[in-house]
Amino acid sequence: MPRLTVLVQGKPHVLSFRPGASLREILDRSDYRVRSACLGHGACGLCQVRLLSGEGGPHQPAEQFQLSASDLTEGKRLACQMRPTTDLTVEILNPPPPSGWRTPPEGLTYAPAGFAADRPPPPGVSHPVGAAVDLGTTHLSIAVHSLASGQRLAERWGKNPQGRFGSDVVTRLMAAQRPEVAEALAFAARHAIGEAIADVARREGLDCRAFSRVTVVGNTAMLALLADRNHHLLLQPAYWMAPLECTTIDGAAWAQAWGIARQAQIELVPPLGGFVGSDLIAGLVACRLTEGSAPALFIDFGTNSEIALWTGSDLWVTATAGGPAFESGAGSCGTPAEAGAVFRVAETADGGLAFRVLDDDCAHGLCGSGLVDLVACLRRRQRLDAKGRFAEGAKNFAFAVGEREFSLGLRDIDALQRAKAAVGAGIAALSAVAGLPLAALQRVVVAGLFGRYLDIANAQAIGLLPSVPVSHIELVGNTAAAGATALLLSTQAQAMANRLRQQAQLINLAHRPEFEDAFLEHLYLRPTEAS
Amino acid sequence: MAGTSAVPDALRALIDALLDGDHAAALAETRRLRQAGLPAETIVTAGLETAMSRLDDKCTVESFNLLEIMLVGRAVSAVVRELYPEGLPRDDRRGTLVVATLEGDVHDLGKNIVKMVLIGKGYRVVDLGRDCPIDTLVAATAREGARGVLISGLISTIVPQVRRVRTALRAHGLDAVWVVAGGAALKQFAAAELDVDYVAENAFDGARYIERRLEGEVP
Repeated sequence: MPRLTVLVQGKPHVLSFRPGASLREILDRSDYRVRSACLGHGACGLCQVRLLSGEGGPHQPAEQFQLSASDLTEGKRLACQMRPTTDLTVEILNPPPPSGWRTPPEGLTYAPAGFAADRPPPPGVSHPVGAAVDLGTTHLSIAVHSLASGQRLAERWGKNPQGRFGSDVVTRLMAAQRPEVAEALAFAARHAIGEAIADVARREGLDCRAFSRVTVVGNTAMLALLADRNHHLLLQPAYWMAPLECTTIDGAAWAQAWGIARQAQIELVPPLGGFVGSDLIAGLVACRLTEGSAPALFIDFGTNSEIALWTGSDLWVTATAGGPAFESGAGSCGTPAEAGAVFRVAETADGGLAFRVLDDDCAHGLCGSGLVDLVACLRRRQRLDAKGRFAEGAKNFAFAVGEREFSLGLRDIDALQRAKAAVGAGIAALSAVAGLPLAALQRVVVAGLFGRYLDIANAQAIGLLPSVPVSHIELVGNTAAAGATALLLSTQAQAMANRLRQQAQLINLAHRPEFEDAFLEHLYLRPTEAS
Repeated sequence: MAGTSAVPDALRALIDALLDGDHAAALAETRRLRQAGLPAETIVTAGLETAMSRLDDKCTVESFNLLEIMLVGRAVSAVVRELYPEGLPRDDRRGTLVVATLEGDVHDLGKNIVKMVLIGKGYRVVDLGRDCPIDTLVAATAREGARGVLISGLISTIVPQVRRVRTALRAHGLDAVWVVAGGAALKQFAAAELDVDYVAENAFDGARYIERRLEGEVP
């Protein structure tokens, strides 16, 4: 892929990019955004850069309109009008204030095909737009669509600011037992959604008051904490299987706080029950798991992983918490899959390791997919055994990416083993209760940011994914966000979600006796028999 | 308890199988020893306890991962079930401790490992089993005069239950009872977060903590 060097205050940063996108689109995914106030058709003229080297293509009419002749001879360009295809260096002339919001990584989010935008928008709003929100434990993502045409206008993603109260749902639920903390948690999530909407409105030149529907999906704990409703019940075993009312809100007050249309419909999509949220329902809608008779498995890897098994006639679902190893890597060298994360590790012919870093030249850690690759490489080279011990009693594996040195320790491997075992045992429990052997699976749908970058062969080699033919496995990205988009726009998606709600049978892993043996079996770093 | 020296040659294969976590081999070896006329008690004291103490020694110098400890625990449990289908004979040389997996969690391998380790160290252990309500735990602690309560959790949703234990004990005047938590779901939390005295890295670590408390090393 060609490389883009961005000069920010004299310091170069290197990104790689796929030709086809505009320079603004490339930068919007990175930490180096340009200023903007329109949808990227050259109307605002704010996204100025100076082309220092490389080929920027011919000047577009919008650039000739927005920039003076001397600007053009000095190499000034509009980032939204340039579509680079080869290596280049640019300087951002007027950087925007810092912000936590970005365009999601390429290929992570998408609008699912085949859902007509037929939900009527609320009356009295001109050019109504809607936002589909996936409130994840770690990340929040929103997709903004025209409610009239269904066209996607913009996407954003950023951190769920509740992370500072704890990285996993149980810690946050415990913290929320104090009412003032519960309020702070609810405010943090609500404020973040408002910020993301405001970022879209400002940078894409949309009117905030045109936002007239906001559809939010999330796991049960995230929704309950957002609405500040009944989250304490999730701490009681009696509610781990029961439906939880956590979606009643004061929509008018939220709309006012966000500065969106007064009459905006703000919909929190109810969770399925227990810890299985509406993000799972959205995911199943997006990938149409239950359409057709082919047995299919759906795994949304995360801090709280959700799993669904479709036998062709029955739908079984569960949730399992395995810690943050998938989303944030593990231990001292772990990092979320964001700019600077090593997301792919491969062996080279000369016996070394080659590392690929997301959207930056300077690695600052290993994200979940990079960890899986590295562990699989170490297993192949017999530097690590199936029980998770290094050869010859070594305590760690040291490696360098560029100038940065990292150390993968036994604790980091153990964290991956435990996260993997929680999911593997969850799949085994569903397979047992449904009476469906994994070998019968025709589809394995892998959702989530972690799944997006996963190397299937490596994931199978350490037993993270069942050993079904590779052609059966689909890495689909953020299905929760895609399903939220479908629910925002389409009556067909709404009907499908209602059907799924009726069909789904919830399994509580805490009461499955086979979970423990399966957990132990899946702690091993070796392929899973698809039996 | 049995030392690491003077292990009868006959028990070496059993100890190796236990430490490898090979429960099938450990069971086969146990049956062979029984048929050869070795008393069950000798197999426990010279076999199981020796294996446990070796694992304990290794645990002090390098950390064992969850899988290895679970494998050894499973093998030891299998052998104990083979030898004493009705349960282990009670022994109260060093005081009474309560072990449990709390209501909402039916996975008790972790708890069973702690139990083996504690029995191996000469404690009387009251096993309240899996899915144990906190009221039952408190009542048993009072009734048995237990010095400490050890809780194991495999599922992270159990965390809030763990946090209620201390308050429930206090409400019954059991302020002096030590509360130790451990297991896959619990060991990532700090003691203060769980409102317990100690979060054990593994079963041996938990047992050592109890030992330090009994010897007055930790106030």
